[in-house]
Amino acid sequence: MRPAPDRGPGAAHPAPWLLPAVLVLAAFYAVPVLDVARLAVSDATLVRPASGFSTQALRAILTDPALPQVLGTTLLFVAVNVVALQLLGLLIALTIARGERRGLHGMAAFRTLVLAAWVVPGIANGLIWSMLFDEAPYGTLNSLLAYVGAGPVAWLSDPRMALVSAVIANLWQGTAFSMIVFYAARRGIDPTLYEVAALDGAGPWRVFTAITLPLLRRAIAVNTVLVSVQTLNTFDSILALTGGGPGRATEVLSLFTFNTVFYNLDLAGGAVLALLLFVIGMGMTLAVLAAGGRGEA
Amino acid sequence: MKPTLLMAALAAAPALVPLPAAAQDLVTRNRVGLADAPNTLTFRLTAYDLYSSDPATSEAFEDLFSDFIEARPDWKIETQLQTGNIGQEQARLLQQTQAGRGPDCAMIDSSRLALFKDTGVLQPMDMVFSEDDVADLFPYVREAVTNEAGEVLAWWWFTDLRVLYRDTSVVPEAPQTWAEAQEAGLAAVEAGREGLLFNGGRWEGTAFDWLANFWAQGGELVDADGAPVFAEGENREKMLAAIAYYQNLVESGASPRRVTAIDDYDAFTAAAAAGTASMFVGGNWQYGQLRATLPEEQFANWAVSELPGPAPDQRATGTGGWTIAALSEDEEKRRLCGEIVKEIYAGPGNAAQGLLPTSAAIYDQYDAYDGAEYDLFAEALENGVARPGAAIYPEISNQIQIMLGNVLSGTAEPEEALDAAAAAVQAAYDRQ
Amino acid sequence: MSRARLGDLASYLLLGVLAVFFAVPFAWLVSLAIRTPAEVYRGAARFIPEAPTLDNFRTILSDPAFLIYLWNGLKLSTAGAALAVALAIPAAYACSRIDFRGKAAVLLGLLAVQMISPLVLLVPLYRWMSALGLLNRDLSVIAVYGALGMPLAVWLLKIAFDAIPKELEEAASMDGASRPRTLALITLPLARSGIASAFILAMVMNWSQFLIPFILLERDADWPISVAIFNFAGSISASTTQLLAAACLIAVLPAVAVFVALQRMIVTALIAGAVKG
Repeated sequence: MRPAPDRGPGAAHPAPWLLPAVLVLAAFYAVPVLDVARLAVSDATLVRPASGFSTQALRAILTDPALPQVLGTTLLFVAVNVVALQLLGLLIALTIARGERRGLHGMAAFRTLVLAAWVVPGIANGLIWSMLFDEAPYGTLNSLLAYVGAGPVAWLSDPRMALVSAVIANLWQGTAFSMIVFYAARRGIDPTLYEVAALDGAGPWRVFTAITLPLLRRAIAVNTVLVSVQTLNTFDSILALTGGGPGRATEVLSLFTFNTVFYNLDLAGGAVLALLLFVIGMGMTLAVLAAGGRGEA
Repeated sequence: MKPTLLMAALAAAPALVPLPAAAQDLVTRNRVGLADAPNTLTFRLTAYDLYSSDPATSEAFEDLFSDFIEARPDWKIETQLQTGNIGQEQARLLQQTQAGRGPDCAMIDSSRLALFKDTGVLQPMDMVFSEDDVADLFPYVREAVTNEAGEVLAWWWFTDLRVLYRDTSVVPEAPQTWAEAQEAGLAAVEAGREGLLFNGGRWEGTAFDWLANFWAQGGELVDADGAPVFAEGENREKMLAAIAYYQNLVESGASPRRVTAIDDYDAFTAAAAAGTASMFVGGNWQYGQLRATLPEEQFANWAVSELPGPAPDQRATGTGGWTIAALSEDEEKRRLCGEIVKEIYAGPGNAAQGLLPTSAAIYDQYDAYDGAEYDLFAEALENGVARPGAAIYPEISNQIQIMLGNVLSGTAEPEEALDAAAAAVQAAYDRQ
Repeated sequence: MSRARLGDLASYLLLGVLAVFFAVPFAWLVSLAIRTPAEVYRGAARFIPEAPTLDNFRTILSDPAFLIYLWNGLKLSTAGAALAVALAIPAAYACSRIDFRGKAAVLLGLLAVQMISPLVLLVPLYRWMSALGLLNRDLSVIAVYGALGMPLAVWLLKIAFDAIPKELEEAASMDGASRPRTLALITLPLARSGIASAFILAMVMNWSQFLIPFILLERDADWPISVAIFNFAGSISASTTQLLAAACLIAVLPAVAVFVALQRMIVTALIAGAVKG
């Protein structure tokens, strides 16, 4: 570390600045979090408090023959979503930013539409998408496909297609987040850089790869982490769409946890799964930050 | 500080929102009776009746509750709503009751009743229900609501069952057996309709509707101690036979492949309204919905019959519904809880909604049950089977849903799917 | 020039296609919301109802409890988001401007808070809030929202602060301004766009939270709309799906209104930011 003047940037003690955040976390969050760790090594259920230390839940969950399939589904679901959500979010954010610079109409309306999809109550998701994906002869998407002579597609009854459909429904609801993050980050880029590029006669692709993308790298890395963690914990849209089926085809880890706690009332098992979710989330975060944020704090 | 100011402003603002104008009204959003009544009973109910968003239903129950409380001016009932999220609601109710924060009286889904009984939180209501009342209950209901000492721990106030709906213009004769059902399905497909529709998605309805086929053979999910035995001995053969029935339906084309995506009874009503359906395994409550949705001449074609069995004399149907139980130890409150059931729900409440009563006497008492369909329902209820009163049932159901989904979508063979289900249920049972 | 026009055309084409993708599900929700109970069961078979009606919206809006639920939702989610951003500002500033050992660990530790599945945390949380005597108080939900939303806000604000040149602050500090003063007078106004984004994201995530208020608030008069909406899902014998759809549509509006209002803030921040360049 380089020596810095007393009051200059980089030299104060961080403690007072971090104190409010730490205090709130400690007051409301620390005890419950420690409790989760304690429950994971107990035999607690929702109807029976823990009677003592036990690694039974830990062993039972980790040796559950269904776990590998659930983990595989989870990783696939998260990976596809993280890529798709961000590509779509980036595309929209940059197109809107460009449109605004050019004074095009309807940009705010479009952004609002995307955001509205995000705030639709989860229960509506089930109503809407079950009609769209309905595989009855009169189902919406299949009827549309029939007009153009395609289909029908087994949207939800085919195990592999069901996962694709779950991704589509999640894209509809979740794109807004990445869009807002990227839009704000794009706005944060100094416009003079683009003016200079324009003077140099750089084409749009060159501007994108030489200015926009490198300067958005930080935002992309952070957003990847946030979106991964969110997607990892997503279960309500899948619950509404397929319930995890057919069979276990769309049962992701968070839905598995939900079933363990609320269906099976197995609190200890749920706590083990919560810790597993935590470990996976942490692992992904470290991997993303190592790959994307190299050399930066 | 800005945030504190903001919060103070937010906290003060509810005064601006108009509250329910309910000065003299006996029924408000969270209370039945007068605010200054000395005694209070807390009652947790679903949003299906008194607070239903269907005006006809809520008005009928407002009248019933008003009459009830007018006869007891010393009491007020503080009502607490439970949302339609049954799993989470019932888990929360159990948590609160064990923490001493639960209501005095609550509605409990019949599928969770065994769990509540096991945990010992239910308080007897014998002072309200006579031996005759109990004797008049359908057998499966009587068994579920009483304990070994014969005490009434809850009252199952309405039930439901599954039947086979068919469009008589394509399926004139009611299929009596699995084989006939498959033939009828193929014939309907030939006639340009969808075949036999049933729940095959990942939800409770799939397991419960299908279990009728297992029960029709005399199969047992759990033994007398509540331990899972569905994949052992004769039960195993019966399971495999019932799986084969559904598998054959789908693979022969007598049922469309889309059944593995059906996780809602409304899908059948929609298919009937669209004119694509020929037969479906539905709930008794759908009869009224069909009548309201279909044009009269189209509705006239629809008929209900008992679910087909492996043989004409082997029949069963799954029965569900809701119960009401006392959670308070206070004798007066237990009594009041029981009286709410007796005077409001079991009887007039059944009739107001067209829900099936749980004792034979009530069917004769109300005109609402004059329709011919109720004769069939009552007859089918003779073969009614409730979910087993075992805490492991939810996991058994979960595993059956997975098993059927995997088999019907061609992901697994019946034997291996059954073995996987049995192993998973056993693992969960060992840790209960 | 014509090349720019071509770009405009491409933009419209792209957004047009995407607009269809985002709008079609809403169209179906509207279709459900204007149906009579009898037509609800027609499901996907009929898009435009034979007898469209606005009665469902009238029923929902004339229910005084619905407005209270909406208000509760708005109150809890904005207060929770405000708390999250208020806590995050000093923390993000420290992470952006102060060199200290373990910074990476702090940032990572904050993220870890988000990674603990609320599904399981809820039971201990219920017990802890009960022990603190905060059960059934808005404060409990707001505090949890604040804790849950803060990590995200810290990360986003750090990006925003990083984008502001340090030289501007150094000039202020040479003029004798203290660090908190510099933050309030120089940094925060310049970071308005980032702050607004962080607030929107935190608010919207709170807006759709179900489990936390469901467990911590036991009286239905305290429920936000995200919990209370399930009341419209129910009736055993009659259909209320049309009411549920109408309720869902109305429930979207307050969050969108806040978003539109804050959108202006983002745009003004842009203008303010342009001056510095």
